[in-house]
Amino acid sequence: MVNCSFCGRRAVYVSRALGKAYCKKHFLEYFDKKVRRTIRKYKMFSEKETIIVAVSGGKDSLALLHYLVKLSKRVPGWTIKALLIDEGIKGYREIAIQDFLRVVRELGVEYRIVRFKDEFGYTLDEIIEIGRRKGLPYHPCSYCGVFRRYLLNKAAREMGGTVLATAHNLDDVIQTYLMNIIKNSWEKIVRLGPVSGVAGHPRFVRKVKPFYEILEKESALYAVLNNLYPKFVECPYAQQSMRWYLRKYINKLEEMYPGTKYSMLRSLLRIISLLEDKADKILEGEIRSCRICGEPASHELCRACTYRLELGIMDEQGNIITNKLESK
Amino acid sequence: MYYREIRYSRTKGAVMGKVKVKIIDTEQEWIVEISAPTSIKDILEKIGLSPEEYIVSKNGEVVPEDEEVSDGDTIILYPVVSGG
Repeated sequence: MVNCSFCGRRAVYVSRALGKAYCKKHFLEYFDKKVRRTIRKYKMFSEKETIIVAVSGGKDSLALLHYLVKLSKRVPGWTIKALLIDEGIKGYREIAIQDFLRVVRELGVEYRIVRFKDEFGYTLDEIIEIGRRKGLPYHPCSYCGVFRRYLLNKAAREMGGTVLATAHNLDDVIQTYLMNIIKNSWEKIVRLGPVSGVAGHPRFVRKVKPFYEILEKESALYAVLNNLYPKFVECPYAQQSMRWYLRKYINKLEEMYPGTKYSMLRSLLRIISLLEDKADKILEGEIRSCRICGEPASHELCRACTYRLELGIMDEQGNIITNKLESK
Repeated sequence: MYYREIRYSRTKGAVMGKVKVKIIDTEQEWIVEISAPTSIKDILEKIGLSPEEYIVSKNGEVVPEDEEVSDGDTIILYPVVSGG
């Protein structure tokens, strides 16, 4: 039996990087301290906030929602609401939605579900099929990421959100960091900090990542210990992504050299601070308003509208073009 | 059902017992034979799974992967990686 380094009880978690073992009580204390330190260090929330939590129904976002609802009991000025984007992946999202509904009802949180089908006229599965028929070069995760971020920002604002909290953890962040090094996308690395979306555009909702310093394994354990762990289903498109391979390699490195992940996060934070001084050379100019939808954009059109025009699912006036799949 | 019988011995000698390993909500299941005191971490590595990627429960209790197993133990694995 492995014993807790603090009280000698049976351990549930060992951090090799820190050289400590934790029982359930001390793990939850460690987790709470770590997240609160992140929130404080990066000034994520003020005393009065309407916090919209982006929830997918996966373990990380259910853990974040549970954690922030618990924390909000101590902060009278906070209102917590949950937002789920249903991209419409068959056999996947409907299962995650069940877990989402179970948890928001248990916690008594106000929520909203926004669907690709309602907003864009098509589910992600249909969009991927249209893109494939048109020979567009995009990966399923590109459509999903662009449209999801677009709707998260838009819906969070419509819900009266002053800040949008996402459950990105340390593993997610360093995987994205590596992906963007490989793709030479330094403008994306600058935006990989714990707080983003502060650029001066009235339609931007500030985004924060309270689990920025939490390992994926720690947020999974928090979910298991709090009976939040959802039914495990895998996104059918996940294994097609570069992230899938990077995650495997980074996990292997962490096993061989404990502390690798923390070290990569420090590397990211250092590079962000170095790049911020050169922001004018890296970022693509001023933030503008998309010519079609008015949402924040770095070019004349926002990415979501660019994709929709390329897919042919929207006209230049922003109207949805239906029956795209029937006109093969 | 996806089922694999794996023989595993860390030191030479007679089989000391069998341990069942299962990934939650999937049909992936292994029966692992052990011949010496063995940690869950060793078993996971033997069957090709990374201990970094699972929360482990032994006979219904969450334990670190450094925990040792004995005959008749059931290990349930909770994948740490997000579904998507």
